[in-house]
Amino acid sequence: MQNCVESRLARLEATQNPDGGWPYFPGKPSWLEPTAYALLALSGRRGPAFERGWRLLRSWQMPCGAWRPCAAVDQAHWSTSLSLTVHWATGIRDAAFQRGIDWLVTSARAEDRMVARLTHWLCPSIVEFDPGLAGWPWETGAPSWVEPTAHALMALRGAARRAKNRDWNGRIAMSERMLLDRRCRDGGWNYGNRRVLGADLPSYPETTALALMALDGHAAVAWGTALDGVERTWHETRSPLARAWLSSCLLLYRGERPQPAERDDRTGNDILVTAIEGIPWNHILAAS
Amino acid sequence: MEPHPGGLVTRRRFLGAAAVSAVAAGAGCAKRTEAAGPPGKAAVAILRAPSYRVDLVDRLVRGAALCGLDARGKRVLLKPNLVEFDRSSVIHTQAEVVAASVALFEHLGAREIIIGEGSGHRRDGYFLAEEAGYRQAIPDFDSRFVDLNRDEVAHVAPFPGKGGIYLARTALAADLVVSIARMKTHHWVGATLSMKNLFGVVPGAVYGWPKNHLHQAGIPNCVASLYRTFPRSFAIVDGIVGMEGNGPIQGRARSCGVLVMGADLAAVDATCCRIMGIDPEKIEYLRLVSDQGHVAEPWIEQRGETISQVRSPFELIPQFQHLRLV
Repeated sequence: MQNCVESRLARLEATQNPDGGWPYFPGKPSWLEPTAYALLALSGRRGPAFERGWRLLRSWQMPCGAWRPCAAVDQAHWSTSLSLTVHWATGIRDAAFQRGIDWLVTSARAEDRMVARLTHWLCPSIVEFDPGLAGWPWETGAPSWVEPTAHALMALRGAARRAKNRDWNGRIAMSERMLLDRRCRDGGWNYGNRRVLGADLPSYPETTALALMALDGHAAVAWGTALDGVERTWHETRSPLARAWLSSCLLLYRGERPQPAERDDRTGNDILVTAIEGIPWNHILAAS
Repeated sequence: MEPHPGGLVTRRRFLGAAAVSAVAAGAGCAKRTEAAGPPGKAAVAILRAPSYRVDLVDRLVRGAALCGLDARGKRVLLKPNLVEFDRSSVIHTQAEVVAASVALFEHLGAREIIIGEGSGHRRDGYFLAEEAGYRQAIPDFDSRFVDLNRDEVAHVAPFPGKGGIYLARTALAADLVVSIARMKTHHWVGATLSMKNLFGVVPGAVYGWPKNHLHQAGIPNCVASLYRTFPRSFAIVDGIVGMEGNGPIQGRARSCGVLVMGADLAAVDATCCRIMGIDPEKIEYLRLVSDQGHVAEPWIEQRGETISQVRSPFELIPQFQHLRLV
């Protein structure tokens, strides 16, 4: 198992861009998302690759406190949460980190607007969810969705525990309730719509794993059943990304990843998958 | 709504083409100075194809000839609909149609044929392509495929919402964007066809999954703006088996037995609507482009089969009964 991790870390070092970041696919421009995951994977080494990546990540913070997703895009991005997790996971709690946290806890969501809640109450049958429960959106001011909420929850919970800050507990608790409210009838999560026009929607394995990781042992989840389902799905799905998140979830809660199958060469160039599989989630999140 | 004579460049269309030209120039591709679309009436080909086992390449070659499609020497992006995959359903563009489209553009002498999609709900585009059978059906699929969700991006303005939009650079740099959609109903906008399929060029890496940015900015406005952003485009709609009812994800399969093709995406979509028993002039995004594309029946020249020969009214959800073509 250790060899698998080592091979992923070596691959990350081999695919780092000259600017210090990581692309989604080798040879392409750097993005914050794969860069943040690569830094979490390499955080135990703190070698030159980590340092170069760290410098790029820091340079992408915007005056508002949020991070941009890549050099070409000049707007605040949900992956700010990932950058904040890299900060607290590596022991950095400086002014830049604090500005990022401030942006995260004050960023607006559609559910904050009375008119959005009112509209939902008037037409509840289109998409069924509790509009009073807000997590985090993909974009500031938009409705909350599962994936950005999961990442923000992990980032904020880790920051709160390290700072011993209880001011954010309310937002953390509401986001947990929002995730639980969006849970599909089959027990997992998709992007965030469990029921549309009276029909149940199915969950996806990758978002199910992420939601479970973000719920941090929440009492409302039957964890034995949920994790058995995660392991079963890991064996069944052929999606490398889904398998990466499912195995990360098992690493977090059960202490080890399932034995990986042979890597499919056709998808082996996805750096996001490589990075997620290289992260010691049990050490990073369990300690948060 | 009066149709404008084909071939005239309206002020809005000119401005749209000019904005695209600026972006394209920034992306390092050739400057675009004119919109696509035939002069006069828009030609739309309707071809019978009772199943995916018939010779689809032959059908597509005939359809391309009926439309006068010229792809020689062009860099072509084939954009199927792979918003999601469900083995028991018909959400995606059928692999056989995508494979036949590759063969079509090889036959037409395209310089490069790329297959690109930015899935709307799930992130793993390669996995979805494999599940949908694209890898098995298409030679060299992996070397052709670009995950548009995680592509390089370029900024395009104006666009509905604040401050323009970022789009996949592969799409902006293509000489010809071929939207290969499945004929489906849609529970927000009535129908999803070749124009709505362009949502897949909006990068999830910027806007997330789903691409809620487009819903917030207004789906019809965004569909219309994407239509204007890609004036050099072509549509192939897979209506061999479509989806009716609660589309685009949870509807039921509906055998319709047709392929619909043409260079004006609005005209193709309007034709598909008429085949589906939907009044295209009640579809808001088609109304929004009716001053630039051909939506009204007098301005569309049907070639191959006629609409009445293949009409197959799709079931509509109660919210969209008012769209029914009378």
